[in-house]
Amino acid sequence: MKESLMDIICCPMDKHDLDLEIDSQDDEEVLEGTLVCSECGERYPIEDGIPNLLPPDMRD
Amino acid sequence: MKGKEWYQADDVAQEYDAKRFSDGGRLIDRREKEAVLDALGPVEGKDILEIACGTGRFTVMLAERGANIIGLDISSAMMAQGRQKAKSTGVEGLVEFMRGDAARLPFPDDHFDAVFAMRFFHLAETPAKFLAEMCRVSKDQVFFDTFNRYSTRSVYTWLLPMGSRLYSRVEVENLLYGAGLELVDDAHDFVLPYGFYREIPNEVAGRIRELDTKLRGSTVGEKLSSVSYWNARVR
Repeated sequence: MKESLMDIICCPMDKHDLDLEIDSQDDEEVLEGTLVCSECGERYPIEDGIPNLLPPDMRD
Repeated sequence: MKGKEWYQADDVAQEYDAKRFSDGGRLIDRREKEAVLDALGPVEGKDILEIACGTGRFTVMLAERGANIIGLDISSAMMAQGRQKAKSTGVEGLVEFMRGDAARLPFPDDHFDAVFAMRFFHLAETPAKFLAEMCRVSKDQVFFDTFNRYSTRSVYTWLLPMGSRLYSRVEVENLLYGAGLELVDDAHDFVLPYGFYREIPNEVAGRIRELDTKLRGSTVGEKLSSVSYWNARVR
């Protein structure tokens, strides 16, 4: 995912802003990392460049 | 393997397009793409969300036409295919893929110009919830297709292992109203169900399709069609 996506996405549970923690990235995008809800603290992983914004009850 | 697991398996994702959209399936692919383009109109510079984007057939097509598009799906294996497709066509700058729940979208209200879902509502257990959520994040347009209750699809669905939800016009109208949408226009196609087209080789598919189109042109037209496309607007 590109960092510009941060302007659009929000927590699927309470719709508050997310903070981005980057573990690895290339020139274009974030490849691995975590999105953290600034309100409820829920953590959403970014895997292979694809953010996983499934609510916790639907995750694998 | 159950439907949901099957859909998310890596090997299924890798062969998905080749299996579904070769031979007669190519006609379905073409017709569906035409339906999406007709409904969305010129997309350059528009913010668009695709629900249940799968391997990104439509996602990448719309990015090629200049849309800023997000594809959302439950399966990362399917979207890995989509990411490759976007890269090979050079539109990765306009496309994002993400995993998410269509009933709890990670977007604020009224963000997108258009939100659409193809081949999604027949698998939706709670269609009213999904449609309301699509309406919430769209400021203007919502577009989707359904398989029809009173059509050849009823027989075909009865034969399928997964089953699928079929809709009548009244059911769709009630869903639209309940979600806060109004119908702008609708189109109807495929007297013969998709499964039939997938089984026949490309050489005969064209001729069968001609016959299908003629049948639909007759007085029973809409009633016989197995697929409907619904183009709606936020009220």
